[in-house]
Amino acid sequence: MSNAPAEEIPTADIDLALANHVIDKYLTLPGNLMPVLQGIQEEYGYVPKPTIDLVAERLNIYPSQIYGVLTFYAQFHLKPRGKFIIRVCVGTACHVQGAPRIVETFFDKLGIGHAETTPDLRFTFEKVACLGACGMAPLAMVNDSTYGSMTVQKVGEIIADYSQRPMKK
Amino acid sequence: MVNLTIDDTQVTVPKDATIFDAAKAAGIRIPILCHDKKLQPFGGCRMCLVEVEQMKGRQIPACTTPVTEGMIVRTTTDEIVKARKLVLELLLLKHPIDCPVCDAAGDCDLQNLTYEYKVNLNRFQDEKFQHQIDYENPLIERDMNRCIHCGKCARICDEIVSYGAYTFMNRGIEAKIGTEFDGPLNCEFCGSCVSVCPVGALISRPFKFKARWWALNKVKSVCSYCGTGCQLTLGVKDGKVLTTIYDENQGFHNGQLCTRGRFGYQFVNSDKRLATPLIRKNGVLQQASWDEALTLVAAKLAEAKNAGGKAVAGLVTARLTNEELFLFKKLFKDGLGSDNIDHSAGYAHAALTAGAMESFGTVASPAAISDIQASDLLLVVKTDAYETHPVLGFEINLGVKRKEIDLRIISDKRGKLAKLPKAVTYVHKPGQEVALVNALAQVILAENLQDATATGIEGFEALKQQLADYAPENVAATCGLDADAIKNLARDYAKAAKALIILPLGLGYPGHGKALAQAIANLTLLTGKVGKEGCGVLYLGEKNNSQGAADLGVYPTAGGADADAIMTGCLNGSIKTLIVAGENPVVSYPDRKRVEAALDKVEFLVVQDLFLTETAAKAHVVLPACSFAEKGGTYTSVGRAVQRINQAIKPVGEARSDFAILNGLVASLTGSAPYADVAAVFAEIAATVPAYAGLSLAELGDTGAILPVTIKPRFVPAGAAVIPVESGKLALVTGSALYHCGTMSRFGEGPMHVCPEGYVELGRDDARALSVKEGDTVVVKSASGELKLKAKVGTRMPQGVVFAPYHFGEASVNSIAAGAAVTWVSISK
Repeated sequence: MSNAPAEEIPTADIDLALANHVIDKYLTLPGNLMPVLQGIQEEYGYVPKPTIDLVAERLNIYPSQIYGVLTFYAQFHLKPRGKFIIRVCVGTACHVQGAPRIVETFFDKLGIGHAETTPDLRFTFEKVACLGACGMAPLAMVNDSTYGSMTVQKVGEIIADYSQRPMKK
Repeated sequence: MVNLTIDDTQVTVPKDATIFDAAKAAGIRIPILCHDKKLQPFGGCRMCLVEVEQMKGRQIPACTTPVTEGMIVRTTTDEIVKARKLVLELLLLKHPIDCPVCDAAGDCDLQNLTYEYKVNLNRFQDEKFQHQIDYENPLIERDMNRCIHCGKCARICDEIVSYGAYTFMNRGIEAKIGTEFDGPLNCEFCGSCVSVCPVGALISRPFKFKARWWALNKVKSVCSYCGTGCQLTLGVKDGKVLTTIYDENQGFHNGQLCTRGRFGYQFVNSDKRLATPLIRKNGVLQQASWDEALTLVAAKLAEAKNAGGKAVAGLVTARLTNEELFLFKKLFKDGLGSDNIDHSAGYAHAALTAGAMESFGTVASPAAISDIQASDLLLVVKTDAYETHPVLGFEINLGVKRKEIDLRIISDKRGKLAKLPKAVTYVHKPGQEVALVNALAQVILAENLQDATATGIEGFEALKQQLADYAPENVAATCGLDADAIKNLARDYAKAAKALIILPLGLGYPGHGKALAQAIANLTLLTGKVGKEGCGVLYLGEKNNSQGAADLGVYPTAGGADADAIMTGCLNGSIKTLIVAGENPVVSYPDRKRVEAALDKVEFLVVQDLFLTETAAKAHVVLPACSFAEKGGTYTSVGRAVQRINQAIKPVGEARSDFAILNGLVASLTGSAPYADVAAVFAEIAATVPAYAGLSLAELGDTGAILPVTIKPRFVPAGAAVIPVESGKLALVTGSALYHCGTMSRFGEGPMHVCPEGYVELGRDDARALSVKEGDTVVVKSASGELKLKAKVGTRMPQGVVFAPYHFGEASVNSIAAGAAVTWVSISK
């Protein structure tokens, strides 16, 4: 009884098949909450509420405790995230090289603040402490692509570039 | 044992004790905020810092540090006081100083310690929190600005209640106690979190701004809802019960209560209470004086007595005190010469008065509440044991989680207990309990797992013969379980060194009667699991004094009419006078139509009650009675604990206790002098009821006494009733909702806030097939009637089975259920 079989769980608007698949994978692993939540975030891009209820029921963990774990770690997101995650380094080296202006420019042009997502779910913006490439300061990343020696002008170019790209995978 | 020195005092404690425990044993108080004796040590608040000489005078938390041999501990030095002051200063940095409007003031650990450590200045400054206060539920107000992050609420909700409503969320300075998705609190509302909150972050809303804590008169009593017998403390002011007060030193449950116990007290001072006697004149109940009402009742009873006593009957609730029940029995036996008395519809006490009586030779459970945590395996019949007796549910939770006791559940539905770690639930078809338990016994015999003592018990051969029909292969299909599953369960039970069976009883459980009690008794006797620690059966009587009513013989013992026969007698005119004390048969007895017809028919109906219930509304005379807070006496709870209740307030209105009413009637009908007081009646109980021998009211004190039990075992074969299956219909099973007990909790605001009306609960598959959604109104139709009920949809109910609680007067489930274990219904929108 402690681990409920999948078919007992209700399906809401969100397709829970992906989450069920992740849970199936780790069902018998001791301490499986973290890998399950990470797997779910991998699949959906964030951790949707129905999946938390699903995890709670199938792993027999209180939803409140799952929520506690999700809010403790910065790596988990409870709201949908943009297709393109823009991260700007505000570490010491980048700060000295003008990162604050880069950040301000992104804020202005995207109309969102730190850790926010544009309504069209295209961009999420985050300030980060260090990306580990201080030689390229000031530094920005969009998903896995790196943009070194950032300038205010390059901010506009990057946004223009990614605004053209398709939203589908 | 370990020897150590604390503040120059030698102390010897068990080796698993902490420094805090050792200091407590030595009578030395160490200040705490996050520690609670019921919870696992946490070590979060740093108030309990002490110095240990062997650790070079380092300050370490007393609550988490185990003792070691020869340890030398100092609990109060200048350095420690300085450190504790710092802790308080840092807490007060964020904690608002709104004590003048905080309900916790006077009962606040932070306030008391701030005072004790004279923290009148703060060296630090910071902004206070700006969290939104949760006013969303009617019972518990959450002001997280006052929270000091001791985590006790989250821990008690997890460790003991096993609901898990709270968690620490976020990190660092933003960390706070939150709920799932930081939403409003939506839980069982047992209020355990409120009771352990050291500050005013969690407070009881019904009590808010009602009185200062120090202005309350605190009166110890016993909860008057279910049979668990939780001790409680009533907070009283100006003749009103304003709240229940948490006292961690009360009872086996350490002051823990459920929703009804903690928030259900408002019925005492409800404005719906009857203020004066009522007499029916020209078809209408009209206010009358006590003299007039009692004269009329006494005259009618005298008439009935002179007619031979056959035409008079009494139904009494098992909520009355032992002394009142004794008088009720005496009124009929000695005063009226009648044996026509009963309680709990007759069937809800049969497990004790017929089942246990024949199998164990006693009307009590051959186990005590302390056996729950002393066992190795608990076999719970129906997960409803949590709903009927929530605080015993906490004991089960604790045993399973902390002591790793195995839990096996046989049930017609899933429930909260089924979610406990290692719980194995066998969901069987409704009404098949007896067949299933018999099959377990058959496996034990077939596989030679029985105890050596079993063959020597009277009736062994007859049982063996009868059980031959119950091989798992024979009953598997009707029970809806695998034969192998049944065998495994039987082996687990038989092989456990200590095993305890728990069976909830009640008006909502007509199937839990004599046969099931005996089938279970046979199982314990076969395996020798009775009469030892951690073994036996706990028959959970439904009401606060169900056990007392069984002990005192408040049922026909000399061939008189039982509850069912009384109804028949009223209908056919053979019973002309009926006294109903506290019972509400219209709502709680099976087949409402028949009960109403019977009560309409009876010539003279007297009802003693707190409220003008559905039953009282049919009476010719209504006598306003007192609640448990307005009288003294004793209750006997599950596990045979006799405990005292104390009068906390004067009777409401002109109400008189059932004791006073019955005492007068007994005197007038027997011609003897009335009893001087409750103690005199208790003395007579002690003198006439063997189990109570040697007890006196004065000696019971605050803790009460556990009655001894001796058993004379006998195997009584228990036949399983055939449950007719109606294809195409749903099986309706009745029972208790977690928030209610009987029909009295309807007059408590707390339970009614959380669960205001009846409902029918369906599984998801059935709901989908019927296109019924949560909250829809559906028509539930049985052979005896139909009802409109709100639908509840969840994971608890298996396909084809629906559940409805019985407590509610409107749309009462007894309008469609006539006392069978399973009622076949169809549901439509």
